[in-house]
Amino acid sequence: MWSYDKRLQFPVKIKNPDPQIAKIVMTQLGGPDGELGASMRYLNQRYAMPYKEGKAILTDIGTEELAHMEMISAIVYQLTRDLTPEQIREGGFDAYFVDHTAGIYPQFSSGTPWSAMTFQSKGDPITDLFEDLAAEQKARTTYDNLLRLIDDPDVREPLKFLREREIVHFQRFGDALRIVQDNLDAKNYYAFNPATDIRPPSRDRMRRNGLHRPAEGAAPPSAD
Amino acid sequence: MTDRDKLLGRVRMYDFALVEAIEYLDTHPQNTAALAYYSEMRTAFDDAAAAYENAFGPLTAREVDTRTGHWRWIDDPWPWEGEDD
Repeated sequence: MWSYDKRLQFPVKIKNPDPQIAKIVMTQLGGPDGELGASMRYLNQRYAMPYKEGKAILTDIGTEELAHMEMISAIVYQLTRDLTPEQIREGGFDAYFVDHTAGIYPQFSSGTPWSAMTFQSKGDPITDLFEDLAAEQKARTTYDNLLRLIDDPDVREPLKFLREREIVHFQRFGDALRIVQDNLDAKNYYAFNPATDIRPPSRDRMRRNGLHRPAEGAAPPSAD
Repeated sequence: MTDRDKLLGRVRMYDFALVEAIEYLDTHPQNTAALAYYSEMRTAFDDAAAAYENAFGPLTAREVDTRTGHWRWIDDPWPWEGEDD
């Protein structure tokens, strides 16, 4: 389960609305390398991860990405507050405005809606971690590109923070990949898929071997 | 910088230290220096969060002081409104 902290991970306080900037920053919410896709990628991939370090890092980074999604949404929200019709037209925000007014909707900078097609959950820890490493670099490049186009320090500071997080997460996924490979045959990492070809003893087999003991307090509630 | 800025800044700082420690420990679970750092930062975070919550209201819906007779969780500002620091 999850809980919510009523604060941003890094402050977002933007003085000057700018719909043109909002349109491009929005891609880090719902774009091909954005934070929504990042969170969904890791939180969906973790079920196929057989190793405890990998389960933990996918869960914790997937959770942090939700906080990054909130920061990007806050940036877009504050950049599009109290716009005049002139600002909407001149900032090229008219197409977005007619569809969403100033509501936050996850989409690419080009206007394509967010899609689960932007990520994969392949059910193979090596494959998934290589995707995760690439995803962090793609997000870092996107932040680099945004920082080339944006001058407002109120927008730049949170984007710089988020860019740094991509680099740290790349490191952590690199650690996780090393751990996965350390658990495999060093002569052939691809001899089998550890997500499907190594199984913990099933309950049935444990019961047959007399090893199954229900945990204390795990009995189902009685009918009355 | 207001008192709110200062107190929330401390919450963020120690939370960030914890996020870094947690993600590092996930792939380095035996690292004694990281374990000690985590422990130190958690104490600092708890103190900073308590100081903020006493002055400016709950950071989570499980930390609401009901003695005010009012459900303070809903009070503005919410984080995206840019007024929380």
